[in-house]
Amino acid sequence: MQTTFWGIYCVWLRYFKVFRKSLIYGLVTTFTEPILYLLSFGFGLGSLIGTIKVAGMTLTYKQFVFSGIVAQTVMFQGFFEAAYGSFIRMYYQKVFQALAVTTITIPEILWGEILWDASKASFSVFVILLIGCLTGNFSVLGSVIVFPFCFIFAMLFASLGLLVAAKARTIEEISYPQYLFIFPMFLFCGVFFPLETLPKYVQWFAWLLPLTSVASIIRSCLLGLPVIPISILITTIWLIILITWSRRAMINRLVK
Amino acid sequence: MEKYLSENNLLVVENLKKIYSSKKSSFTAVDDISFTVKKGECFGLLGPNGAGKSTSMNCITGFYPINHGKILINNIDVHKSPKLARRFLGVCSQDDSLDTDFSVIDQMVTYASYFGIDKKTAQEKSESLLKRFFLDDKAKENVESLSGGMRRRLQVARALVGDPQVLILDEPTTGLDPEVRRELWDIIVESREKGMAILLSTHYMDEAERLCDRIAILHNGKILDCDTPQNLITRHAGTNIIEEEIRPGMKWKRPPNIEDVYLNLTGRGLNIN
Repeated sequence: MQTTFWGIYCVWLRYFKVFRKSLIYGLVTTFTEPILYLLSFGFGLGSLIGTIKVAGMTLTYKQFVFSGIVAQTVMFQGFFEAAYGSFIRMYYQKVFQALAVTTITIPEILWGEILWDASKASFSVFVILLIGCLTGNFSVLGSVIVFPFCFIFAMLFASLGLLVAAKARTIEEISYPQYLFIFPMFLFCGVFFPLETLPKYVQWFAWLLPLTSVASIIRSCLLGLPVIPISILITTIWLIILITWSRRAMINRLVK
Repeated sequence: MEKYLSENNLLVVENLKKIYSSKKSSFTAVDDISFTVKKGECFGLLGPNGAGKSTSMNCITGFYPINHGKILINNIDVHKSPKLARRFLGVCSQDDSLDTDFSVIDQMVTYASYFGIDKKTAQEKSESLLKRFFLDDKAKENVESLSGGMRRRLQVARALVGDPQVLILDEPTTGLDPEVRRELWDIIVESREKGMAILLSTHYMDEAERLCDRIAILHNGKILDCDTPQNLITRHAGTNIIEEEIRPGMKWKRPPNIEDVYLNLTGRGLNIN
């Protein structure tokens, strides 16, 4: 079906208007969580641990965990906005259905949704990067380079959220992937500690999940670590699969 | 197709067929229906729940893909060029699809932007529509705070904000009190006077008879007959006064109406002498 930038922009703008209208709510939900993680794990735990060795380089734990929180923010903000947000818009508010009988087409609605979710996640990422740079934990150049990549990674997790919303029969069912997929990734994909500390087979498994690669690429950019080539491949594969699958699933859900 | 192509036929539905299929079964919800709606005409789709009214509406707006046939809005195929065709289309769906994230006026202005209408025109148009729908004092309020009748009026107002030539109203008055119902009837009549082609689905027989220039009786996905209300009544219910026993021992007499047509056509008819 016809897809134009204008149509996608109209959808994106609808989300932005709502965000701007309830700005306080938007700011609290967008910025509080990553800042709390930074304070607790970064400044709190980070001050206790001192330095660690990653890929032959010595880093402060604060640097390590700060960069991990960038990856975690990309995932949480992208996934939750898309999963709960798009479920509410599709199931309760019927925003998608109302848009789809105007000159906006369903493919445009779904692109607008994913791009908005990624934009919102990027707002959060921006703040973390800013704090990281100001506190001297990130390289400024690395932060500038990583920012557009974070947007793309957020699209990956937003697509995952959209897929979950398309498959969930009730809003409660979104909890399954949240507890069985998102939280394990949050804890075991290299956000808080280097994967090398885990048993070999757990490491292999962790590398199959998207967050490990995403965290690895983000950390490489921010801290000047060598990029692991397979992480780019894994991220690309997840991105293509999730975007294609989520869009197809949501179209099947909406259109009979 | 050429027979339908005329400046006056703003909506053309030709041999529309819609089959819902899953791995286990398939079900023909709309079975080869055809009709046209002219400029300034109100066309009614009349049928019980499950007759295929909403499915037809969803196919006609281009929201659902179709298995066979063609839908033209202002001579543009809605499934081939949805963006262009829907520029001329206003839809009030059966479900409440108002955007609860916006206030009443923002709702209208934002919706107008989806039709490429500039902000200033959208604002003026929205204000005048809200006035006409007696919603101007609610303009700044959130949609959530409106009553059911107000929400329905707002949904019809929203359908008109893009200056449509074809207006689709899917059971617009279901569940409304008589006063709001009459207000909406006035607006439907007004829109028809302005030259819009209106497709109205309803299961209220009196509403169909009162508002529609022509009515199609839809049953199990098929159009059983289609004509002006009067012709349908004469053809299927006759002209004689009907005597009906409304409860034991109490009879009343009345002229035949569309309800008799419907009941006769679908085989659940009264015995008319």
